[in-house]
Amino acid sequence: MLESLQDDLLERASLAVKLARAAGADGVFAWSTRNRFVEVNYRDGALEKVQESTSNSLSITLYAGGKYSSHSTTDARSDRLEAFIKETVALTRALEPDPHRVLPDPSLFEGRSEVDLDLMDAGLAGLTADEREGWCKEMNALVMAHEGVISATSGAYNDHAVRAGVSSNGFEGAYETTSVWRGASAVLKEEGDKRLRGGTWVGGHHLDQFQWGPEQITAEALRLAERKRGATKGPTVRTVMVVDPRSSSRLLSYLLRSANAKSIQQGRSFLAGKVGESIAGESLTVKDDPLVARGLSSRYFDGEGIAAKPMTLIEGGVLKNLYVDTYYGAKAGLTPTSGGSSNLLATPGDRDLAGLIADAGSGIYVTGWLGGNADNNTGDFSFGCRGHLIENGVIGAPVTEMNVTGNLLSLFGKLAAVGNDPWPWSSTKLGSLMFEDVQFSGA
Amino acid sequence: MHSRRKFLHGAAAGMGLISAPTFLASCAKEVAPGALSAAAEIPANPFLAWFGIDEAMLSRVMSTLTSRGADFADLYFEHKRSNSITLEDGIISKASASIDQGVGLRVVIGDQTGYAFTEDLSEEAMHAAARTAASIAKGGPLDAPTSFNINSPQGLYTLAVPWADVGVDQKLPKVRQLEQYARQLDPAVDKVTISWQDTEDRVLVADSLGNVQTDLRPMTRLWCSVVATKGEETFANRANLAGRRGFDWYSDEALEGLARQAVDRTMVLFEAKRPPAGEMPVVLAAGASGILLHEAIGHGMEADFNRKGTSIYSEMIGKKVAPDIVTIVDSGILEHERGSLAFDDEGNATRRTALVENGVLASYLHDRISSKHYGVDPTGSGRRQSFRHVPMPRMRCTYMEDGPHTRDEIIASVEKGIIAETFTNGQVQIGAGDYTFYIKNGWLIEDGKITAPIKDVNIIGNGPETLERVSMVANDGVLDTGGWTCGKGGQSVPVSQGMPTVLVSRMTVGGEDA
Repeated sequence: MLESLQDDLLERASLAVKLARAAGADGVFAWSTRNRFVEVNYRDGALEKVQESTSNSLSITLYAGGKYSSHSTTDARSDRLEAFIKETVALTRALEPDPHRVLPDPSLFEGRSEVDLDLMDAGLAGLTADEREGWCKEMNALVMAHEGVISATSGAYNDHAVRAGVSSNGFEGAYETTSVWRGASAVLKEEGDKRLRGGTWVGGHHLDQFQWGPEQITAEALRLAERKRGATKGPTVRTVMVVDPRSSSRLLSYLLRSANAKSIQQGRSFLAGKVGESIAGESLTVKDDPLVARGLSSRYFDGEGIAAKPMTLIEGGVLKNLYVDTYYGAKAGLTPTSGGSSNLLATPGDRDLAGLIADAGSGIYVTGWLGGNADNNTGDFSFGCRGHLIENGVIGAPVTEMNVTGNLLSLFGKLAAVGNDPWPWSSTKLGSLMFEDVQFSGA
Repeated sequence: MHSRRKFLHGAAAGMGLISAPTFLASCAKEVAPGALSAAAEIPANPFLAWFGIDEAMLSRVMSTLTSRGADFADLYFEHKRSNSITLEDGIISKASASIDQGVGLRVVIGDQTGYAFTEDLSEEAMHAAARTAASIAKGGPLDAPTSFNINSPQGLYTLAVPWADVGVDQKLPKVRQLEQYARQLDPAVDKVTISWQDTEDRVLVADSLGNVQTDLRPMTRLWCSVVATKGEETFANRANLAGRRGFDWYSDEALEGLARQAVDRTMVLFEAKRPPAGEMPVVLAAGASGILLHEAIGHGMEADFNRKGTSIYSEMIGKKVAPDIVTIVDSGILEHERGSLAFDDEGNATRRTALVENGVLASYLHDRISSKHYGVDPTGSGRRQSFRHVPMPRMRCTYMEDGPHTRDEIIASVEKGIIAETFTNGQVQIGAGDYTFYIKNGWLIEDGKITAPIKDVNIIGNGPETLERVSMVANDGVLDTGGWTCGKGGQSVPVSQGMPTVLVSRMTVGGEDA
């Protein structure tokens, strides 16, 4: 049955390629996807929402006379599809030719991993609504048993996604993934009108990737809420910053946000000309690895059909590689690697959060970000944050309503240590981080 | 009181732009003849025809949906067609089209919701989805309506020429023209990227009370992105125009104004610096600064958070939260605005809702569930991203009404502070009330005078504290002509925001001390 789903979607994609060729396209890439999704939410002791759906969509990219366009539809009836494709080919012809718009080189489709990435838990098909509801009920009750809870919510969902692609220059591929997640949150009363919220989710492709039972999930949700109690605005100061492993990936994602051919070719990257140069402290080594078994962002090929391969992005602080897709690679004169990120694996250091905080002695421990942004040309950033003071090498009073401001290159240049404690339920495996001399603004 | 809006670009009535329908227009006509124009002249409801349904079928599906009981149930039919065109490196080298169609089916019992959707509009598929949504209910069947009162409100954003009748051949010259304007404005302009988008969202909401609302919701957005280089330095910035408007909105003046905004915002970055770090007075420039209202109070006033007790504003209705000069409104009825809706996504009429009236916290933003919970009229704030999503209370067009001061008075009153002018994004913690927004462009004020441009600063504050600290409100209110998209609970909806020039006596500025 499972294989026939893949076959079914491959057939749909092939049909779209055939129709587009018949309508006059020289090159076509079609993707067909199907996603089955079920979700349940509990709140304050009662069922709040049940949702269930199956979604199908088809997307095609067209190349005709040196011109290009891309389209999607959820209206799959064959007569509609044929009309849609005819119109989109006609639209493509109305555009202007662009010599760099070509299908990916077929040699990039080769070398697809033969290893089973184990992205599908066949047992999930048997997961019942009662089981999902049972988890929610249990987690909800555990949170509600805590004193001072204003509102307790819990949820669970799982999905089964199938993706298939066919191109007119020889690509054919399909794979399936499942995912299952559950989590809980707590809202507690604080002084005055304020509320304290904490929540956490665990999950993965397989049921056993939960790792945590309802007690651990709810205890963590309550801990995250309770630790904000009594927070005040921290000081305006330059000091050491230690970032929690659940928040460190955001900084890395901003550092790498413009590490791609598009940003560089378009003149919007502070990493332009930086390959081979140091962009971070020596303790930072990061690999993009799409082939991690059960990895949350693992894949056999990317959105262009390029066979997935591991790639070192940063080694000992030096930028080694960029994300390069076919189009911007051609424009920028760079060899395609992959258009987008997968699992990011940072080489762990030798200490955990407590070790880094002890090392810092004093400073600010950031536990969460709120808003903020960065300029891709300069790397200048400014993020809202909350957390705790670090006093005498231990976690001190909670602080909130602060900003941390600087430049991504100079911040990562002052990276003092990488922790060995990545958050398990993230596709970025990056532990705590410690930076020297960071500007905070508060009271 | 209303219509204090000023437009940067005149919205003259569009005439004579009908061209031979090309591209998806012809595709659409094949599906539902006549549905694209002159709807009023067709006796049968064109929306029912569009979706291939009739009242008897609606009644049968509604019976299945309410077969296990319901306080309320609805069917949300949607057909959304979007077109986009991109110019980059001097070539109009990409176009995209998407069609998203389906129906969402919902059963509500108290504050419990059962939901399912299907992209397949066959009666069989709808019955199957209806049974899934109904599974939340445990009671006996409801009597489903056998006929429906069909209402098709007109006028809030009805276009002279629907987007389906505007061919790609008409759009391409506009895209090229905007690029040329941007290139001509400054020799340092290196790259210009233009992104055009137009959308037609066809919606039909049928409910268990026997009401059907139909609406054709247009949307368009045009981005102008600029990269400029001087010597070793390169900067990029962008601006956009957005609204429930038609092709005629993109006049020469509108395109030139948009290009100028994008280029000015980019060129000023060469001179701009970081302000000092810490607490200081912040002047919010008229227009896009409405982002403050969106984050500092708007989200916290969405009634789902309040009925659950999780918002900082949960026990504050009727309380004095700001000076008398502060009135904050969320309205769905401003013509052609991006956040406006003739009716909300639960079929309720939209309206002007005062969140804060003369400094007093006045009303939450309600969906059906919360209005029933509080025993008040719905405010027409129940919105959803698409037929795949359950509705919840959301903002529409959020703005502050004019006050007694002038912009000049406000700037002159500040000894040392900043002006916040353009923004990229914001966020809020509903329970704690802490919110942020990111300033892309602004100005430093020293001794009551604007002295230098600033850039890339995050602002953080606490909602109720900030409302108390609104110390001056000017008489120059304007809604931002750029488009904003609001995210909540995994759903994105288009919104608008506006503001007169306002002084907040103290906020924490994410600057840098030397």
